[in-house]
Amino acid sequence: MIEQLFQRENYVVAKKMLDAAHDRHQAISSNIANVETPGYKRQDVSADFATEMQKLAKAGDLQKIQQLTPKLVNDLNSPSVRADGNNVQIDNELLKMATNATEYEFLAKYTSNSLNRLKTAITGQVR
Amino acid sequence: MNIMPGLKTTASALNAEKLRMDVIGQNIANAHTTKGPDGKPYARQVVSFEAQLIGLGRDASGQMKTGVGVQVKDIQSDDTKGQLIYNPGHPDADEKGMVRLPNVNVTHEMVDMIAASRAYEANLQVVRTSKQMAQQAIRMGK
Repeated sequence: MIEQLFQRENYVVAKKMLDAAHDRHQAISSNIANVETPGYKRQDVSADFATEMQKLAKAGDLQKIQQLTPKLVNDLNSPSVRADGNNVQIDNELLKMATNATEYEFLAKYTSNSLNRLKTAITGQVR
Repeated sequence: MNIMPGLKTTASALNAEKLRMDVIGQNIANAHTTKGPDGKPYARQVVSFEAQLIGLGRDASGQMKTGVGVQVKDIQSDDTKGQLIYNPGHPDADEKGMVRLPNVNVTHEMVDMIAASRAYEANLQVVRTSKQMAQQAIRMGK
């Protein structure tokens, strides 16, 4: 019975999106690390993940959402303005990192609050 | 899954940038070295980077996850000839009184140094963000 409490749609989606934010941070840190590596192409979480997630969330298919895994792909479409073929733009990456960290914070707080609500329901006490 | 995402890749970058900074320091220090151990003027050293795959453990489905770090591929000597100046009083002057200076251009080195230190800073920012994220993950449910 307790498992069902963790199967609510928002909670499941938030968990998946936390995974994605975690992976995106990994990708961004790779990009910043390789800002001066010739020929390096920037990484990002594949765009499929967001569209797929949106579709599944609309359909309310929790099973499939749980199976969804964010994938890191090389971003070959971003233009390279440098002679060495590297397409990392440091300002862009830092901005993306800040955005992603905020998203992570929001999702972490959201999951945290979900658990706290559950605790309140169980104990009947507001901490 | 790592508790501190991106830490390994960033550590490799910090390491590489530090080494680059060391080499730039060496170049500036030797900007006027007209005779090295091999009897020739000092040759400027250039660091080149290459991407490096770093294993980050397995994800939930058992697949190996990798991050792309950076490592120093090579430290090469810049073989271009340095400036030739007339200074007959110099101990390393040839019979015509000409001295071959090292091919170090201090202005270039300074620009490289600024680039390296900014890259270092950007990576430190990543470490800070990773730390924040880890703290938020740890505090979850509290």
